[in-house]
Amino acid sequence: MNPLLIYLLLVKATLTSFSGMGSLPIVREEFVVQRHLITDRQLSTAVAVGRAGPGPHGLYMVAIGYFIAGIPGAAAGCAALMTPAFLIVPLLLYLGRYRENQHVRGAIRAITIAAGSLVLSAVVPLAQDAWAGPLPIAVSLLSFAALMFTKLDTFWIVAFGALAGIAPLWIG
Amino acid sequence: MAALQRELVDKRGWLTAEQHGLAYGLARVTPGTNILAYCAATGWMIAGWLGSLLAVSGVVVPSALLAIWMCSAYETYGAHLSFRAAMSGVVAAAVGMMASSGVSIIRARARGRWLLPGLLFVAASIAAMRLGLLSPLKILLLAGVLGAFYGDAPVDKVAT
Repeated sequence: MNPLLIYLLLVKATLTSFSGMGSLPIVREEFVVQRHLITDRQLSTAVAVGRAGPGPHGLYMVAIGYFIAGIPGAAAGCAALMTPAFLIVPLLLYLGRYRENQHVRGAIRAITIAAGSLVLSAVVPLAQDAWAGPLPIAVSLLSFAALMFTKLDTFWIVAFGALAGIAPLWIG
Repeated sequence: MAALQRELVDKRGWLTAEQHGLAYGLARVTPGTNILAYCAATGWMIAGWLGSLLAVSGVVVPSALLAIWMCSAYETYGAHLSFRAAMSGVVAAAVGMMASSGVSIIRARARGRWLLPGLLFVAASIAAMRLGLLSPLKILLLAGVLGAFYGDAPVDKVAT
């Protein structure tokens, strides 16, 4: 697939989100539901890859680009992740005074809440794909609890997931 | 951002506290990942467009290379039984991560005078999505319009 198209589709998602994972619903809609370029399993894997290492939350876009088109796709994902950040320069120059406007802040707050809701909605089919038995369900619930109630780094949660997945093979 | 503030404002004196506050405040209203917008702003303040590009690249590129390496390993060893088993656990963990991400995003914003409207937005957004009434993009745009009408509380001071 053309990396430019990957870039444009990912930028569309990032431009309508105000947090790293807020773009997830649109990414899933475009790449999984509409175009069938990746599967739910690959999307979940991309999220895990993005959270396993250091760096900004939106890194999963690099993994998505890689799964679709290799290194050029990853470069497109990387560029899509970076592009919206530069919008802050014209904001600094021309619109800084509006950042305290109550209507602007209300719009952003509402978009962010809606994005969080859509992330939850997008998790449902991903969970259906991942939950093949009681063990993955337990892993998901423990990961959720660890992130909500502790300051554990996501690297350790990914490592825990890998160990939990492989443990049944070791045990026999 | 706190670590960057210490380094750029307190330690090196490359930015004033006011510049940091402006970059921090605007980063919150810039689309995409907030920390990248903050880096773009502070890089631009220090060294223009080149500084902005270098600042954002410095945060993204090393992590992106690591992500590419992990994806490559996934493709190389994906057929191996042990690797597949490990990945099934990783994917299950990712489901928990995504759910916590969604809840955290909502919990941070749906508070104060936005508690009830926020919960209504959550219910309406999920229903519209699950029932296939609107695309995610339209839901976000509609939320933005309604949020602009409702407005936000008076400014909470940005960190300085």
